[in-house]
Amino acid sequence: MKVSGDAVLHAPIERVWQALNDPAVLVRTIPGCERLEATGPDSYTMVVTAGVASIKGTYSGEVKLSDQQPPGSFVMSASGAGAPGTVSTEVQVRLSEVDGGTRLTYDADAVIGGMIGGVGQRMLAGVAKKMAGEFFAAVDDVLTGKAPAQPTTATVPEGVYVAPPKPAVAVPGGFLTGALVGATIALAGVVVGAVFGRRRG
Amino acid sequence: MTKMFGEPIKRVEDRRLVTGRGAYLDDLGQDAYAAALVRSPHAHARLVDIDVTDALDVDGLIAIYTYDDLTGPLAEALPLLIPHPALTHGRTVHALARDEVNHVGEAVAMVVARDRYAAEDAAERIAVSYEPLPAVVGIEAARAAEHLVHDDVPGNLAANYTQEYGDARAAVAAAPHRLTLNLSVERSASTPMETRGVLAEWDTDSGRLRMWSSTQTSTGLRAAVAAKLGLALTNVEVITPDVGGGFGVKIVHPWPEELLVPMAARALGHPVKYTEDRREHFIAAAHERAQLHHVEVGFDDSGRILGLDVRFWHDHGAYIPYGVIIPIVTSTQLLGPYKPAAYRVEFDSLYTNTVIVTPYRGAGRPQAAFVMERTLDAIAHSLGLDRADVRAANFIQPDEMPYDFGLTFQDGRPLIYDSGDFPASLDKLKKLVGWDSFESFREAARAEGRRVGIGLACYVEGTGVGPYEGGHVLIETTGKVKVATGLTTQGQGHATVFAQIVADELGVPLADVEVVTGDTRRFPYAVGTFASRAAVMSGSAIALAARNVREKVLRVAADALEADPGDLEIVDGRVRVKGNPGAEVALGTVAVLSNPLRYAFDEASKAATQFVVGDPDKPPVAEGDEPGLEGRDYYSPPHATFANGMHAVIVETDPDTAEIRILKYAVVHDCGRLINPRIVEGQIHGGVAQGVGGALYERMVYDEHGQLLNASFMDFLIPYVTEVPRGIDIDHLETPSPLNPLGIKGAGEAGVIPSAAVFAAAIEDAEGIPITSMPISPSELFELRRTHDGFGHQVAYNRPGDQDREETT
Repeated sequence: MKVSGDAVLHAPIERVWQALNDPAVLVRTIPGCERLEATGPDSYTMVVTAGVASIKGTYSGEVKLSDQQPPGSFVMSASGAGAPGTVSTEVQVRLSEVDGGTRLTYDADAVIGGMIGGVGQRMLAGVAKKMAGEFFAAVDDVLTGKAPAQPTTATVPEGVYVAPPKPAVAVPGGFLTGALVGATIALAGVVVGAVFGRRRG
Repeated sequence: MTKMFGEPIKRVEDRRLVTGRGAYLDDLGQDAYAAALVRSPHAHARLVDIDVTDALDVDGLIAIYTYDDLTGPLAEALPLLIPHPALTHGRTVHALARDEVNHVGEAVAMVVARDRYAAEDAAERIAVSYEPLPAVVGIEAARAAEHLVHDDVPGNLAANYTQEYGDARAAVAAAPHRLTLNLSVERSASTPMETRGVLAEWDTDSGRLRMWSSTQTSTGLRAAVAAKLGLALTNVEVITPDVGGGFGVKIVHPWPEELLVPMAARALGHPVKYTEDRREHFIAAAHERAQLHHVEVGFDDSGRILGLDVRFWHDHGAYIPYGVIIPIVTSTQLLGPYKPAAYRVEFDSLYTNTVIVTPYRGAGRPQAAFVMERTLDAIAHSLGLDRADVRAANFIQPDEMPYDFGLTFQDGRPLIYDSGDFPASLDKLKKLVGWDSFESFREAARAEGRRVGIGLACYVEGTGVGPYEGGHVLIETTGKVKVATGLTTQGQGHATVFAQIVADELGVPLADVEVVTGDTRRFPYAVGTFASRAAVMSGSAIALAARNVREKVLRVAADALEADPGDLEIVDGRVRVKGNPGAEVALGTVAVLSNPLRYAFDEASKAATQFVVGDPDKPPVAEGDEPGLEGRDYYSPPHATFANGMHAVIVETDPDTAEIRILKYAVVHDCGRLINPRIVEGQIHGGVAQGVGGALYERMVYDEHGQLLNASFMDFLIPYVTEVPRGIDIDHLETPSPLNPLGIKGAGEAGVIPSAAVFAAAIEDAEGIPITSMPISPSELFELRRTHDGFGHQVAYNRPGDQDREETT
């Protein structure tokens, strides 16, 4: 499945950079993301709980980065698995300065397996874009001050980020495939954060 | 008494089935433990690790099995059911994946729990690590063999097989006209309403296994289970309950679950049941149909085929348990009612990382008919001849029967047509559909801005293949008749047609005949229900068995009535002396008399006790005789009997939306003598419905990674009654088969065979665009229109750059 799209974040590229660079922000803006953890310079694990209709589950994911060309682009390879299915994806992410902000463009090629893979594929791309939109809107809310920049504190080890309690991801249209797409997009979101995290380091 | 054979009586099983009193697999074993399978989400991957830790906490969990728990023959790959010399690289699946998975849906682990909820919960918590491998999806990828499905199968090639008579290539080269066609058919599947299911009970005290399966072969399954579980055959019983459709997929045996469930039942000492869910049926059962064909044909001015050279590629999925039956059927049945002067056919059977391919109603014939009929339409078009005339020019004539092609059919026997009258069938079809007056209909429609087209397609179907079936007929002392045959029933109406046969043979009321099928306790020798063979094989065997019983009835009754057996008749359950109304004896009484007794058990049985009857100087049971009124016989034909038929359809295509509507559907059908015309017509209706699905709606959409994208009824479109023609005009021709005692031929698959061919012909006729790939959706037709310039019968191409029909005259 191929999904591509873009979003304009209403902040200069450096502020976008800083926000996305903060895993604590990401963990609360990525749809369904509960926890993410750096496991190495180029690899992260995360946990996403998402559910729509009857297919709900917790996905564990791994993310690896390649072809980083700061500040313009990188490739993220992510894989996740949970009871409802599996996902592996390659996402090409590009950033550029535009009037009034920063444009983020993504092109994902995902292999969706398991139950989600065989049920309702025709809806996946649309739902994925919708969820990507939610993610970028949430990030934008942080950037524009509509949402708090700092997460509620939680006692966790260094390098581990836990999201505050929030409702399970609701996918407009109520389609069950949204669950795994949520994971995909969440993984993509993690990578965005991870890349910025590295650059700051 | 009315003769039952040939009467369109209502099915005796329907009252029970339509009032919810059927007992299907999932209705049984309500106290059984439930099994759920962990299945591969990857099309091709190495199995790295299976971690069951999280599943162990699930309340209600009983057991988890992986490959490591399989022992003995159960740990080996499943049987390759039908070996063939050309099948040089046959590979079959393991009951649970050993070190590699080769399609999405392959069984990796089985969970048994107190109920299905717990089993599913535990299955979800089993973490399986895979190392994904490149997936081979589709015939082109398999043929290119950049990646291999099985490391030890070069070129992904399981079998290459050629059959030929004459020198087809030389004949094509020398012919005055030549055409080349590239044709393709996509995947579909049997898709019965009832999915697969199996229930097993182990009797610890007696060491016996009893199992029920929604199968098309209880005897085949019994033999396989006994072998795999190391049990004596006599300690295994397999019973087929009511089955909600098979259409071919349930002839495959043993399915992994059919071994794992009895294995678990034995290990746990408790009944275990597995019922497949719908998604599993899409990804873990079987599909069919996908083939690519390259045709070279040479013909004369009248359209007579001088040489036909067909090369095709068959996608058999990840494993090949059912051998090369489907491509052999395609190879041979491609000839239909025609006699090309020379014919060569060669196929490759290729592995792909997709669900296995095994026979689905029609079994290779829909593709065969599509290829042959598309070729004949192309010939007619290139010569400017009427399509029906080109067919007539190629027909085998009635006086040429039996017609021996010199090829080998799917049963390993010579391809010999036993009977048929193709010119007569074509005449009937043309009248039925209004072939000769269609042009005026087209003109009238065109004047209204409507676009219509007509097509026809012919087929011949080898039915009733061997090796044998048997029948057992028993007349009880009540006069009731109990009939058993070993093959199974999936809704065909066997309880009706077999009873009709027996009612006539024995002269008893239909209501007194009870038929049991697919129960190895009642009849342990059988092959199975496939290849439109049940009526021919078991019907014939039951008729022969009934005749044996009748002979004994007359002999015993002749003694009692002091008459000559030749003067007796059986009418309405009573044996009587012809022309002597008073002299008669009830069948039940004959049954009593046939069984010399020491102990009476009721008034009637007193008549057979030792102080009442018998010559004291002779043994009560004469030498060579047996007690009771029982007959058993077998029918084993020299080769298949060939049914045939012709379909025509008139379609209307929407000029704007490309929607395809069926205006008229006509069928001429010749399956020899009809036992029950109502049931035959029902088979045709069902076949046409599935054919409409296969031609216009159904396809298995795999992505390049081997994920089946439409594994639900939401996305895999099965026609509703609204998509099936309201009225199907049917005419029968009854050309009896000389091969069996009833003169019958199979009828089960016929309706589906010519569908892709006939719809392609009609759509092509309506649109003036060559149709070379089926199924076809409105979107695809719309796209074809967009990429074709102009309307009219011009040489054209299916897709830009893809030369699918090329004239080389």
